[in-house]
Amino acid sequence: MLNKLITLAFIALLASSNNVVAEDVELPILSGIGGEFSAVDADGEAIEFSDFAGNVVVIAFGYTNCADICPFTLGYLKRLYSELTVDEQQKIKVVFVTIDPEYDTPGHLKDFIGHFNKDFIGLSGSQEQIDYILSLYQARYNKLSILDVPTQNIRRVNPKLFADDDEVKEDKASLYSHSVTLYLIDKEGFTRSLEYTGTPVGDFTGKIRQLINE
Amino acid sequence: MNSLRCMVKTLMAVFFVTLLAFSHNSYADKQANIEIETFWVVLPPNVARSTAGYGIIKNTGDEPDTLLAIRSDGGSVMLHKTDIKSGMARMLHMDNMIIEPGTELVLEPMSYHLMFTDLCPIIFTKGGAVKLSFEFKRAGIIELTVPLRPSWQ
Repeated sequence: MLNKLITLAFIALLASSNNVVAEDVELPILSGIGGEFSAVDADGEAIEFSDFAGNVVVIAFGYTNCADICPFTLGYLKRLYSELTVDEQQKIKVVFVTIDPEYDTPGHLKDFIGHFNKDFIGLSGSQEQIDYILSLYQARYNKLSILDVPTQNIRRVNPKLFADDDEVKEDKASLYSHSVTLYLIDKEGFTRSLEYTGTPVGDFTGKIRQLINE
Repeated sequence: MNSLRCMVKTLMAVFFVTLLAFSHNSYADKQANIEIETFWVVLPPNVARSTAGYGIIKNTGDEPDTLLAIRSDGGSVMLHKTDIKSGMARMLHMDNMIIEPGTELVLEPMSYHLMFTDLCPIIFTKGGAVKLSFEFKRAGIIELTVPLRPSWQ
């Protein structure tokens, strides 16, 4: 009985300390970052950013042919998401916007994003749509040419055995440099904080909870 | 068809690595000390065309050594570095990486990493493992098998 009381007191203390931390964080509206846009979701349906109204949103930019930071960021967001309660998860949208819509078609994005979490939302669209979204968030990307980052005949494991069209296409995979900021957006669509994959999960979830409870 | 290609590629890779191992025995400096630790490779989504590997390469010897090549049964491998400046991540290809004596090259997310392309789907399965072969100028060839893990673990 005493153990149960101590446990309950400890949980209550933790809960109250979390609230204090959340209340102490200032999250001003970051004017000039974000806004209304249209895109295509992973089911191929047209979507407007305002469709997310009423939800806290986390937006990340990347592409599926990215080997390092994008899968790591999505893994980080998965850990972040798992720290939230089921009720909180229903009040947040985690959105991954591709910078390579030519390759990252809605169906491909759905399969890729689903590996991390079925609730995560992949957005594609026309290049014009993507470029506009990036401009809204002051995010950037640069396509690296094959000459800049060789993807063939460099440290190849095994000699090329096939040279059909598929193989040639694979070798021409586009690589990009791109912005890695994570945008935390409130229920009214205002950007309130800029985070990174290195942000301590506890700090990030605290801010998310603060915006959910506003 | 992809599986058949991968099998053929894997066989060729094994043959190629074995051939190199024999050929490099003649000049590999056995005094050079390279230790490779805690390597793992990210289990990619089924539709992914690339993935990354991480770990530590230590030079415990008295002479610098150069990482000449990395080979794997899982696909083509390059040493890359993600360089983040002003909120932008750019990928740099690292060629002939020199590891000074008494130092270590740490491969970790958002920094140095092995970039795998031309992935063999029969290798990249849940609970699977990837064979890696590191070729050094002095230490010769070091082979190991490393686990596949999701990026969130």
